[in-house]
Amino acid sequence: MLGSRRRVPGGGKGVADVAELAGHLPGLSADSVERETLRFSAWGACAEVAVPVLAGDQLAALAAHVRQSRERFLAGLRTQEIVDILDRAVRTLLDRSNPRRRRAEELLPTVTGYDPETVRLGLTACLKTFRGAQLSAFVAEDFANPQMLDGFQPLRKGGYGRAFGPALIGHVWAGNVPGLPLWSLISGLLVKSANIGKLPSAEPLMAGWFAGAVADIEPRLADCIGIVWWKGGDEDRQQALLDEAGLVLAYGGSAALERIRARVPVATRFLPFGHKLGFGMIAAAALAADEAAGVARRAALDIVRYDQHGCYSPHVFYVERGGTVSPRAFASYLGSELAALSHRFPRRALDAEDAAGLAAARQEAEIRSAVSDSVEVAGDPEGAWRVVFAEDDPALAPGGSNRTVKVAAVDRLDAALPEIARHAPWLQTVGVAASPEELFRLSAMLGEAGASRVCALGEMTAPEAGWHHDGRFNLLDLVRIVEIERGAEAAAEDFAAYRD
Amino acid sequence: MSGTALSDKVLDFIGRESSTEAEFDAMALALFAHQFENNESFRRFCLKKDRSPRVVRSWREIPPVPISAFKTLTLSCVAPERAERVFMTSGTTGGARGRCYHPTLAVYDRSMVANFRERFMRGREKIRMGILFPTEEEMPNSSLAHYLALAVSSFGTPDSEYLLNQKGLENDLLFRALDEAAATGEPYALLGATYSFVHAFDEMARAGRRYRLPAGSRVLDTGGFKGRSRDVATGEFYGRMESLLGVAASDCINMYGMTELGTQFYDDGNDRAGATKSGPHWIRTRVVNPLSGGDVPDGEQGILVHCDVANYNSAAAIMTEDVGIACHGGFVLLGRAGDEEAQGCSVAVAEFLEAARG
Repeated sequence: MLGSRRRVPGGGKGVADVAELAGHLPGLSADSVERETLRFSAWGACAEVAVPVLAGDQLAALAAHVRQSRERFLAGLRTQEIVDILDRAVRTLLDRSNPRRRRAEELLPTVTGYDPETVRLGLTACLKTFRGAQLSAFVAEDFANPQMLDGFQPLRKGGYGRAFGPALIGHVWAGNVPGLPLWSLISGLLVKSANIGKLPSAEPLMAGWFAGAVADIEPRLADCIGIVWWKGGDEDRQQALLDEAGLVLAYGGSAALERIRARVPVATRFLPFGHKLGFGMIAAAALAADEAAGVARRAALDIVRYDQHGCYSPHVFYVERGGTVSPRAFASYLGSELAALSHRFPRRALDAEDAAGLAAARQEAEIRSAVSDSVEVAGDPEGAWRVVFAEDDPALAPGGSNRTVKVAAVDRLDAALPEIARHAPWLQTVGVAASPEELFRLSAMLGEAGASRVCALGEMTAPEAGWHHDGRFNLLDLVRIVEIERGAEAAAEDFAAYRD
Repeated sequence: MSGTALSDKVLDFIGRESSTEAEFDAMALALFAHQFENNESFRRFCLKKDRSPRVVRSWREIPPVPISAFKTLTLSCVAPERAERVFMTSGTTGGARGRCYHPTLAVYDRSMVANFRERFMRGREKIRMGILFPTEEEMPNSSLAHYLALAVSSFGTPDSEYLLNQKGLENDLLFRALDEAAATGEPYALLGATYSFVHAFDEMARAGRRYRLPAGSRVLDTGGFKGRSRDVATGEFYGRMESLLGVAASDCINMYGMTELGTQFYDDGNDRAGATKSGPHWIRTRVVNPLSGGDVPDGEQGILVHCDVANYNSAAAIMTEDVGIACHGGFVLLGRAGDEEAQGCSVAVAEFLEAARG
């Protein structure tokens, strides 16, 4: 069945009674904010989301408010206190009886098109990484001495150092994977910055709900968060945020990031997170008769979760020849697993244009399979999934997502590395099934090629708490270290009231 | 049947007033059998889909070839070097260009002329034409260049002319032609690529020029903007035709054609949004679910599959990347295949290809 998912942006000013209010605008009175309604439909349901459209000076007012709230409250908190508040807020959203959580489970399938089960499991998996213990891991990962965020700490070279986050961080979020904005928003709070984030039109709800959950626990912390929206390409509204922020984090495609980069003031740090291309590697050792089906199941889960729309999602699996199960047979195992999973987790509904785009993307392999025996295409007649098996084609490329994957047979996994290295800027996550020795040997080569995360199959879409996103530091990249030099301390001794 | 015998049969079919569903089936199935027998790539494509002349009973069952296949496969029943003309796609996506081989242009020309006479000339024998597209000599592999050359040679008065050169629009030529046309009182026709009209509008606006072309004047645009001009909303586009040229939107015809087809579709004016497109009796259209290939229920969106008798040498049925909806008397074109870019943070096909081209 062709879905009927449709998003109608700019559906109208004015707000229907049923529309869910998106965003979080502390300090702005509700009736002063104009709203635009985004309409979504999928799975036979419709949803309306009223996103805020700030007038000329409202973003500056919001920025002043969150900055001031930070000065008054957040800047004086100890990191552990922030962790505790966030932990309590996250736990309310983990509770499936919580009204916000219920709203999320009800609306996000309609808004994003992902099936309800995928949304429910994805929310829980994502939120779990932001519980207190996991947040402490976040902090510890970047700071050998986490107290550096709270006060001056002795440095190994001598003197003292303390980490300061910017007064205001601007986030430009993108994509429809629920919860993605939480990574950078929570990181921003942990370094005691005020934050203003721009909602993605494809999922304009989760960030605001999170801010609301924080407000229930500690309104003074929620006062340091602004969640706004503008229509993609609205350069004036975007500029207002770029001008206010001390640091800008942006997510999106190369072209969108280029446009933002060009407009970030030169003294403002800019951290771009571009689109990525994940893949998997399966060594012959993982293709024993009693292992291969399990490997295929885990690979299929990585494909099914968010239908390959995550930066970490796999699009190609390199499968080594020489195992008990051949690469061609593995491709058919993978097809069976995808078929089985499509009942429990149906593929995201697509509108006609998206379906046409997917069909066009899939066609090249289909045509090659028609004229060559080295390419074989298997799929469900309705197009729910597609596995392309290629005997001699290690090309690394996206195939259209939405459960479209290539299995490339290789004599040795190493043989794929030159091709992989050609795409260094797109690399991030690699799911690997191999022996421990092979895992380390391959990881060294993958790291050299440009990848930044090697994980187990079945875990590609669920990075560990504290992971180094795109190989970078979640918190360290946000702060500047302020040092008190050894000499300054020594010189100060001369002026002590109690000097001899 | 030999290729020549088949092309004669096709010429005869195109010459008819109309055809019934059964007559169309018979003609389309003859094409299918010919292509299945004489084109190895096409045969293998069909066999992968379990379709052969033995089991296919109607034009609706002929496996449609995706247009992207023209980039990788040689879809011709004669050796490519024996083709009188090769039309190539512009290669906007993916870099490679699709190739369409014409053993003779007789069939393409017969289809184009008969259809153009009815849908654009509307009873008029000749009209003075201005062409906003390069000549056939400048673009020998462009089907649109040939189409427009044929329009001029078949229906243009001797003073018809091309209004752009290889570098682009010739403002002086354009303004002079429009001045003259407005002065003569004789109907005038401006034909060309949609994006060239946008360039012409911009130049006219810059020069502060507006025209009122004589009654009976008309416009034909085709192909959309293709990133070669800024995008203009349909209503605004035809509004400019009225305000800058004095040609009513109802006299502005949009032609929908593609290199991979030997026959074109037209609407009957663009005074309302969502004009219905239709073709002559020798081309028929299905609206299908792109992922399953099955017909969509009536009134639902899908992608267009065209079965064109003029495609006697390549592939009778073509699967486009155009989204449309069937309606009384034809179909409404809604857009092109979308790109999944905006949906996630995984790199999309188009972005990846763009970067690969560097």
